[in-house]
Amino acid sequence: MRVTSRRDAVAAEIPRLRRYARALVGDSGEADDLIQDTLERALARLGQWRDGDSPRKWLFSILHNLHVDGLRRRSRRPPHVGLDSLGPEQSAPAADGASGGDLDRALRLLTADQREVVLLVGLEGLSYAETAEVLSIPIGTVMSRLARGRDRLRTLLAYGLETEAEPAGLRRVR
Amino acid sequence: MSGGRRISEAELNAFVDGELVGKEAAEVEAALATVPEDLRFARAIADLNDRLAQHFAHVLDEPIPAGMAALAARAARSGRRWAPAQARALGIAGLLLAGAVAGYAAGALGRGEAGRQPAFVANAFSAHQVFVPEVRHPVEVGAAEEKHLVQWLTRRLGTDVRAPELNAQGWQLVGGRLLPDRDQAAAQFMYEDATGRRLTLYVRKEAGLTDAAFRFAERGDCAAFYWIDRSLAYALAGRLDRTELMQLASAIHAQLGGLSGGQG
Repeated sequence: MRVTSRRDAVAAEIPRLRRYARALVGDSGEADDLIQDTLERALARLGQWRDGDSPRKWLFSILHNLHVDGLRRRSRRPPHVGLDSLGPEQSAPAADGASGGDLDRALRLLTADQREVVLLVGLEGLSYAETAEVLSIPIGTVMSRLARGRDRLRTLLAYGLETEAEPAGLRRVR
Repeated sequence: MSGGRRISEAELNAFVDGELVGKEAAEVEAALATVPEDLRFARAIADLNDRLAQHFAHVLDEPIPAGMAALAARAARSGRRWAPAQARALGIAGLLLAGAVAGYAAGALGRGEAGRQPAFVANAFSAHQVFVPEVRHPVEVGAAEEKHLVQWLTRRLGTDVRAPELNAQGWQLVGGRLLPDRDQAAAQFMYEDATGRRLTLYVRKEAGLTDAAFRFAERGDCAAFYWIDRSLAYALAGRLDRTELMQLASAIHAQLGGLSGGQG
């Protein structure tokens, strides 16, 4: 594949990369910094991208690695909740009484590992196998993080962000 | 549930995520039909995904920052289409929706109104309002030439399009037309029922998105459900109540879900 079409393929992924990064880190400025770094790294390594590979998977892998590096660098800092950056649309009340702001905050309360899996599968529509490759973890780990992350997210959304303990009523009794 | 084994949460998650095929998928489907708890759980997962999609959809429409602009300029010219990395089990949406059309449409889907609409929805409303009242020329190519219509639109949109069959629901294809949508081609199919009500299905290419969630929108007395499925954006518009429109959208989604599975 020619370099130009590779660049085009990378550029075509920008909106989705931004959506994922926004959901992942919460703050739009921080998310765009992450995308800028991802693009720079991708464009510097176009030659390493194997023909036939999905550009999306490759770019999400680069983004993940940069994100993890960033988290390691700032591991002493508490997670940042970018409430200041939320526009009116995002904080408009939803039909069930929960607000979009609640979803942002609930996502922040997942572990970074859970958040990545919940978003890659649930928001970006990656398969379990793709997610496993992007994150360099086994598929079984994808599945367990996904189940735990979704349970926690649902609990937070259903019972409010103050509730740390998971009420028994929400979980399936088996 | 008579004799069937219990389905684990992991399997229900995997089903909603389109990871199961064949026998595994069939077992879960059977459970969803007979175990209300499983159906509730699967719906809750699907609803969560829907909520994430709606909440972050606006980011896709945001202008790309200057730092990325050089790349973006190239992207705008790029006609390259990437097949979705996976063929999601799109029947799932219909299956989960089928049991609770009214409640779901009135509740969860209503949240779509608060979210920001993609640009194609406004175009779909405009096209609906312009062509639906038309008496002599509502369509460019009539249903009598459906094969030609579909071939023509497929060629102009650069991707497989099909006019879904809604006879079972009481709607007959009137025909279709080609429309401009920014710098792209879009298609509009028109349907009519026995009472003369008209419905339009707007279709355009939306590369890079695989979101399949149904969302609801209204303009004046016209309502629409819109969704994005395997690089195609759809908007079904009409002066119908939400439940009826939802049922039609669901039927269309189910029919077209298998369309692009073998290509791309």
